[in-house]
Amino acid sequence: MTAARPIVIETRGLGKVFSVDRAPIVALEDISFAVREGSFVSLVGPSGCGKSTLLQMLAGLVPSTAGEVLVDGLVVRKPAPDKISVMFQDATLLPWKRVSENIEFPLEIRGVKAAERRERAAAMLSLVGLTEFAARYSHELSGGMRQRVSIARALAPDPRIMLMDEPFGALDEQTRIKMGHELLRIWSKTGKTIFFITHSLTEALFLSDVVLVMSHRPGHIVGVIDAQLPRPRTYDIIGSAEFGAARNRIWKLISQDDDEAGANGMASL
Amino acid sequence: MKPLVLFAQVSFVVVLIGAWEFGDRVGAFDPNILPPPSAVIVSLRTLLQSRSFIADASDTIVRVIAAFVIGAPLAVVTGFVMGENIGVGRSLSPIFNLVLAVPQSIFLPVFVLVFGLGFTEKLIFGISHVFFVVAVNAMAAVREVPHGQVVLARSFGASKFRIYRSIYLPAMAPQVVTGLRLGVIFDIIGILLAEMYASRSGLGVLLLRWGESYDVDKLMAATVLISVATILINELMRIWETRVGRWRQAMEDR
Repeated sequence: MTAARPIVIETRGLGKVFSVDRAPIVALEDISFAVREGSFVSLVGPSGCGKSTLLQMLAGLVPSTAGEVLVDGLVVRKPAPDKISVMFQDATLLPWKRVSENIEFPLEIRGVKAAERRERAAAMLSLVGLTEFAARYSHELSGGMRQRVSIARALAPDPRIMLMDEPFGALDEQTRIKMGHELLRIWSKTGKTIFFITHSLTEALFLSDVVLVMSHRPGHIVGVIDAQLPRPRTYDIIGSAEFGAARNRIWKLISQDDDEAGANGMASL
Repeated sequence: MKPLVLFAQVSFVVVLIGAWEFGDRVGAFDPNILPPPSAVIVSLRTLLQSRSFIADASDTIVRVIAAFVIGAPLAVVTGFVMGENIGVGRSLSPIFNLVLAVPQSIFLPVFVLVFGLGFTEKLIFGISHVFFVVAVNAMAAVREVPHGQVVLARSFGASKFRIYRSIYLPAMAPQVVTGLRLGVIFDIIGILLAEMYASRSGLGVLLLRWGESYDVDKLMAATVLISVATILINELMRIWETRVGRWRQAMEDR
């Protein structure tokens, strides 16, 4: 169904080399994939495999050292806030602003008029179900509520693409599951393209149409799994046979790559 | 609890002043060395009506303000550059911390030798008092700006100027204002000291002169006046400090 939709994000041979004290470290190598309009794509991989760096390159926040990122067929060199919003693991709410002012922040940067900003913030607050918390400050909210404000803020400028860097990584399990459901509800309501980073295979599979599997040293894509699970999804699906099979496929991709890397390491000794 | 504390504090001051007055009345204190509060208030009134006292006080006030108006912005900018530019910060901040460790009063004779006894000497001595404490605080404030918030603003397409205005300014404000508050106090210390050491005019000169000539009523009156003025300035700055730092306080209380 989604296969017919146009490609919105594409990477071609994307790579990143960091120079630390003149010694080059290859963080990412030959990353090529495409994300279709309106789809939910997850990127899973072990900690430190370069997932965040990849996301920052997609967002135009960090320059690549090889290959290119294309959004709507145009090369990304700097942030494109009219198309892309970014969410981080930390909600990064500004502590001196009220919840509603935080949601207005991206609009304030764009020079949107105050009345229009307020209206938009109110709409986003109601979408994430936090209308009664509009006048609160971030330190008065729970971790899950802060991330919902962060979602509302990312949605405020009405981007077509949401890049999310482990947004629920710091939350407890129950909150995390609830936030996953919440995100799917918002996604189906708004039709955004979502690129979602996580290290949880279950979370990736539960949310996504497509799961990109990454491994480390250097960070590279080891496989692409088409989830092929029915929507709308409920928590029960996690216990189903298809879910388990898909989850095993992802795990095999990651562990095989680890074994090979280990074997190569031994051989070179 | 709170009104009780306030009551205790006020009573303490009242009892202290009462005991002082009482001690003079019954002859426990020598009024030539410690005149009673009533006498101090009378002489305070005459001082405030004296044209020459007002002229000296204005000289001191002008010096304090001039040193602050020049020194503080210079220090904030320097501290900002030191905080933003790791190279500059690394090379300068140890020097600044060493300078802060040395009692600056010992440099006063050198200042007098180099700049003479006029306005310039007091201005520069005042600036040297304001500068370091404000700069060090401004530098610490820049370092406290959370990197994540800067990245966030960039992702929304914020310009460099917008990031400074919307992220740096509010994030830095509490610590910078703390520096400014300390800067004003150091400024007043520096100017009064320079005036007491060697000067033709100013409150410092008067204090020294009245002390040497046993003009104790006037000495006490001027001392009380300066104390009240500096306490007021400090408290006003503290109100400003609390206002810009309310969000930070709330986070710490969590």
